[in-house]
Amino acid sequence: SVMNSQGSAQKAGTLLLLVVSNLLFCQNVHPLPICPSGDCKMSLQDMFDRLVMLSHYIHSLSSEIFIEFDQRYAQGRGFIAKAINGCHTSSLPTPEDKEQAQQIPPEVLLKLVISLLHAWNDPLYQLVTEVGGIHEAPDGMVSRAKEIEAQIKQLLEGIQKIIGQVHPGANENEIYSVWAQLPSLQAADEESRLFAFYNLLHCLRRDSHKVDNYLKILKCRIVYQNNC
Amino acid sequence: MKDNVASTIAFILLLCLNISFLNGQSPPGKPEILKCRSPDKETFTCWWKPGTDGGLPTNYSLTYVREGDENTYECPDYKTSGPNSCFFSKKYTSIWKIYIITVNATNQMGTTASEPLYVDVTYIVEPEPPRNLSLEVKWPKDRKPYLLIRWSPPNITDLRSGWFTMEYEIRLKSEETDEWEIHFAGQQTQFKIFSLYPGQKYFVQTRCKPDHGYWSRWGQESAIDIPNDFTMKDTTVWIFVAVLSAVICLIMVWAVALKGYSMMTCIFPPVPGPKIKGFDTHLLEKGKSEELLSALGCQDFPPTSDCEDLLVEFLEVDDNEDEQLMPSHSKEYPGQGVKPTHLDPDSDSGHGSYDSHSLLSEKCEEPQAYPPTFHIPEIIEKPENPEENITPIQDPQSNIPYFHADVSKSSTWPLLPGQHMPRSPYHSIADVCKLAGAPVDAVASFLDKAGKNALKSSKAFETGKEEKVAKQEMESLHSKTKEETSWPLLQEKASFIYAKPLDYVEIHKVNKDGVLSLLPKQKENCDQVEKPRASETSKEYAKVSGVTDNNILVLVPESQVQNMALFEESAKKAPSPLEQNQSEKDLASFAGTSSNCRLQLGRLDYLDPTCFMHSFH
Repeated sequence: SVMNSQGSAQKAGTLLLLVVSNLLFCQNVHPLPICPSGDCKMSLQDMFDRLVMLSHYIHSLSSEIFIEFDQRYAQGRGFIAKAINGCHTSSLPTPEDKEQAQQIPPEVLLKLVISLLHAWNDPLYQLVTEVGGIHEAPDGMVSRAKEIEAQIKQLLEGIQKIIGQVHPGANENEIYSVWAQLPSLQAADEESRLFAFYNLLHCLRRDSHKVDNYLKILKCRIVYQNNC
Repeated sequence: MKDNVASTIAFILLLCLNISFLNGQSPPGKPEILKCRSPDKETFTCWWKPGTDGGLPTNYSLTYVREGDENTYECPDYKTSGPNSCFFSKKYTSIWKIYIITVNATNQMGTTASEPLYVDVTYIVEPEPPRNLSLEVKWPKDRKPYLLIRWSPPNITDLRSGWFTMEYEIRLKSEETDEWEIHFAGQQTQFKIFSLYPGQKYFVQTRCKPDHGYWSRWGQESAIDIPNDFTMKDTTVWIFVAVLSAVICLIMVWAVALKGYSMMTCIFPPVPGPKIKGFDTHLLEKGKSEELLSALGCQDFPPTSDCEDLLVEFLEVDDNEDEQLMPSHSKEYPGQGVKPTHLDPDSDSGHGSYDSHSLLSEKCEEPQAYPPTFHIPEIIEKPENPEENITPIQDPQSNIPYFHADVSKSSTWPLLPGQHMPRSPYHSIADVCKLAGAPVDAVASFLDKAGKNALKSSKAFETGKEEKVAKQEMESLHSKTKEETSWPLLQEKASFIYAKPLDYVEIHKVNKDGVLSLLPKQKENCDQVEKPRASETSKEYAKVSGVTDNNILVLVPESQVQNMALFEESAKKAPSPLEQNQSEKDLASFAGTSSNCRLQLGRLDYLDPTCFMHSFH
């Protein structure tokens, strides 16, 4: 057993040495296109086209859910006034106009996009779960919410792929935002519950628009060199 | 004091206010924010509608609060976008943030604020329409010509960086139509139209929309004339047209060929040729005349007798060799009756001629026992005339001299073949002869050449009334049997053929020998009368007066012989049983006295009733 432990320690050390050396060697090497899923034939343009298509679709769905909910449950309740400064992702340093967006480096922007998408994993899940608490909730809302969930997953995978190509090794310093509004969704008071849903859907609509816009900017910048 | 001053001031102020109110002045009405729009997602403008001004000059101001900033700011630019508007430049525009915008109307009397509008610039984007619309007809080599529509995006939008993404739509219509044809063009700034009509003028318009926002208004209209030879250069089109025409012509020719015959028959219907029922041309070609004519229903063709015009039914007057009145053999009835050739019911031969010769002479040769009496049920073949199923009144014991001609042969009574017999109440001579015992008003009728009278007779026969009359005649005949209605029966096969009184007709026959004619009695001599004459009177010739040497059967009008029923037997024959009534003696007497009136026909002797008449009267 002593021999085994010594052998395993040696093996681990050898492995670590190999990894470190690889990292050192790889730093100055032009990053080869890494295709973890084997889809190496897809060009950057094609990947961005697909991402933009996904993000566009996600925002369309989010808009539809919000408009439907607003017309059905939020008329005359003044929810919009209460929804100011109510999004949990407002802590993320996202650009607020075109100039700011053009000044941010692409990888940072990509990271922000990833953060935004990650920030919606939990709320979307809760939305689908708790929508039964809404009196006579429209069927379209649940199905669209589920669709948004699925599409965001694919979007994240695509973005990860792009990041792997464009900026490998940029996985650090991801900013996480916490969503803590679950109790509101489960409030006993129907008015509170409805506002919680309204707020959630309003923020989802905004953030999906941000993602879409950022990706379109990135596409024009990376693929077409600002000459869309 | 102070109170007085305060109250005075208050009073004055109130007075002023009241005066203002009396003047119609009031604080401004509430303004209303119409809409806010951003053409490029970098700036935006808000427009409001002022309310009532309250009769005083009113100022409007716009204030806003932005999400994430607690300060209230006033509109930075009231001018750029026109009156009653506020323009937010890039500096003051943030997207993904909510603006709370309020318009205040202020006049001397007061300030009135509008309802706040919560607006996020992200969702109020409405671009300007596209620019530089150009139309051009392109003629590429070896390809179809098309209309190329090109345009430019509106000026201020930033599409290059990807901040703004635009989609386009074009619409076009020709000069003649009223409806626009809309095409979505995606994000491209050109479009190709292929299916345009040459020689027409087309109008084109474009509009655009952000990826998430409102459609712009339709841009400036452009027009273009499509040249006439738009498709002329396309030879393949002409080849296709030629092939299609050839195919259509082939189809039409084929259709005409198929349907042409029916069309022609529709337009020119075929003239029906003569047709003989039962006539088989194949048999004719083969020369099997017997089969052919048997198919037609003829028998014994060529006939055994010398009657050539065989499409004739015979009314046979047979000599009954038995000298007895015996019931006819029913078995003889059906078959023999059709022995003579029948007239084709379909043909219009009109030959109603009777071969009297055969009837009167030759048929007499037949050794058939034609009973002078009739057994009517046997004779009557057709059940349709039950009236004729009279119980056989004739029997050998009857005093009524009946002469039964060839019953079977006579079954084919006037002109009508067996199948027409049902129409005649007298299906046979037998039927006729049953009436023979009737008083002298019985009439024998024969068909003339035209057959008209035959038809008359047949019609007369047909009527049930006639039959009843016949019956009555029969009955009366019976009643008279004891009377002088002695019918000197012809000893042999003389038959009384009479029916309801009809015009006498002249019988023609093909062969020259016998001419059975019916002549008006008044015109007739006791001598022979040869010339057949059509009946000229409507008198009923109900009685055979005699038969001339030339085989002319002479009929006597009914009226003249009403009281007479006398025929004198020929001296040759022994008196028939029918003569065994009282009148026999009279007859005998007559016979003696009027031998000169005797007419002989064959073996039949008849007396001219006129002689009798003279004797009587």
